[in-house]
Amino acid sequence: MSLNFDPSYALEFDFGRGQIRMANASERVVIPCDALLALCRGASEEAVRDFGRRLGTEAGRVMNDRLGEAWQASLETVLEHLGGELALMGLGSLGLERWGQALVLSFSHCPLGGAGDLLLGSVLEGAMQRSFGRDTVAIKLMRDDQKVRFLLAGHAGARKAGNWLSEGVPWGDVLSRLATRGAS
Amino acid sequence: MNQEVNKLQELLARVKRNAALPRTIVSGRAPEPSAPRNEAPPVAFSAPKYVPPPTELTAEDMFFQSEPPPPPPAVASTPTAIPEPPVVQPRATLDDSVDELLLEDPFPSHPPPAYGEALPDPMHVSPGSPSPLDHEEDVSGVVAISEFADEQPEELLEDDIVEMTASEAASLPAVTHTLDELSFEDVDADEKRAPPSSEEEPPASSSRSKIAGTMDEALARAAEQIDLEEDREVPLKTPPPESGPQAAVAMPQGMQAPNAPDIDELLEADILPNTGVRVAVPTAEQLGQTIELDEARGPSLELDQPAAASAEPLEPEAPAEELEITLPGRKYAGDYQADLMPPPEAREDLDAHRQRQGEDSVPPPPESLAQYPSQRGEAQSSAFAPVIVPATVSTDSYSESVSTVTVDAPPNAEFAPELLARPELGPSPVAKFIRTEAPRPKTFMELLDSSLALGSD
Repeated sequence: MSLNFDPSYALEFDFGRGQIRMANASERVVIPCDALLALCRGASEEAVRDFGRRLGTEAGRVMNDRLGEAWQASLETVLEHLGGELALMGLGSLGLERWGQALVLSFSHCPLGGAGDLLLGSVLEGAMQRSFGRDTVAIKLMRDDQKVRFLLAGHAGARKAGNWLSEGVPWGDVLSRLATRGAS
Repeated sequence: MNQEVNKLQELLARVKRNAALPRTIVSGRAPEPSAPRNEAPPVAFSAPKYVPPPTELTAEDMFFQSEPPPPPPAVASTPTAIPEPPVVQPRATLDDSVDELLLEDPFPSHPPPAYGEALPDPMHVSPGSPSPLDHEEDVSGVVAISEFADEQPEELLEDDIVEMTASEAASLPAVTHTLDELSFEDVDADEKRAPPSSEEEPPASSSRSKIAGTMDEALARAAEQIDLEEDREVPLKTPPPESGPQAAVAMPQGMQAPNAPDIDELLEADILPNTGVRVAVPTAEQLGQTIELDEARGPSLELDQPAAASAEPLEPEAPAEELEITLPGRKYAGDYQADLMPPPEAREDLDAHRQRQGEDSVPPPPESLAQYPSQRGEAQSSAFAPVIVPATVSTDSYSESVSTVTVDAPPNAEFAPELLARPELGPSPVAKFIRTEAPRPKTFMELLDSSLALGSD
């Protein structure tokens, strides 16, 4: 399970055919970020989420193909392989944080900016569904210039956290509240 | 056979006759070397010719020769000299007298040869000549002559005593002196050689005087002895123990024997102390003049407790155990007298302290820490309001950790004590800790599940 992610020859550019292939995957299309963002802005939220989940499902499938049994994979292994696949999509650098019992995933250096946070969250949800078979909700805890954090929680927890976040509760207090209420 | 018997009888008779004659010590010299061994002189450059010993040596053959051995011949310078065969004493016949044989001097009287003559220089001895006998290896009884110069026989053996016949004894110088006629010519000669010591008095430790021959001579000597002792001074030193009895003489002038001590004085000295108060103490003679006093007349006196001076009893009779003097009690326990002054070394410090406090007036005396200031009677005239025992003392506290003491001042107090208490604080969380009881998940799946469980009721 400690198999390292090897991006060598992950992309195959066929200039004769004008195609870009990803290893063990279908053809890719390289499009400008602004165009994608413009599409996302014009689409509905549900459409963006669905678009994003499809991207995540594809990443999760590739990871499972690499790891074999992803449910036994450690934190580092999942981060390495999932992050590698998302990096090949050009969505940024994936990070993992553990706040008590809360699982927090982050993206750094994402070219989409803040406009693509919904898309990024949907990608994570699609990857968790495809890799581990769990229905998760990615709630954006914070966003700065470089990084965006998403809390992976259930539906109940995501609802509470969303309410606290809408009330202006710092994301740290949200995490502590979730930990306190969850334990009580 | 008869002849032999006769001879033996004659021999026995002679022995008995000779036994009555005095014996004379003839010689104490060491025996000469045996003839058979030394008769053969050393011969240079030629080995001694072997002469077979006699077939059998008897006791008679071992008799000493009456003649001295011939002097050793001069060392021949030529090796052709042939040593003479050893001369063996011919066996004496039975006719020879046994006494003659016995009386023969086994040790010749002629002086022994000199050492140089007896032992030729070994440097001149030819290598073939027998080497001088070594003392350590000597087993034949031949001893070098040089040893006899230092060692003489300590005791005369039986062999050294030679019996002599009457004729031989007669040839010797007759002993005609008796014990009384012994000649002390040597002693007289020594005395003559010594310087004459005429009229020299014998020392005190001289030997005993000669025994007088007659009574008159003894009396004369005694008279002379008395005269000499009267004129002679007795030495003060103790005469030696070997000296004889000495006559008691008078003590010289200026010396006197101590008188016998008085027994009474000695007894009195033993009774009386050896101190200077001896003069005041009556002597033993005075004790006999002691006057005995008569018995006291009148009623007998008895010691009793003195009666009280006044009729008013100061205090009721105290029990026997309270007869001890009781110190005057103080009003308050723990207090001390007010007239006590501070020590001189602390006075300056106390004055400086009062100046700082602005108290120029007479300061109040120090108060006891075990007493409230109001309880002192001396402090009632001061500016401070008297405070009696506090009415109530209550302990109020909002919590168990904080307590305040409130003292209710009396109504006549001008200045009530000001007590400051900590401000009241409402209960509020001081610190917040987030416990991470869950261990680090091993797999990503576990962390995901735990995170999905957050916020679920």
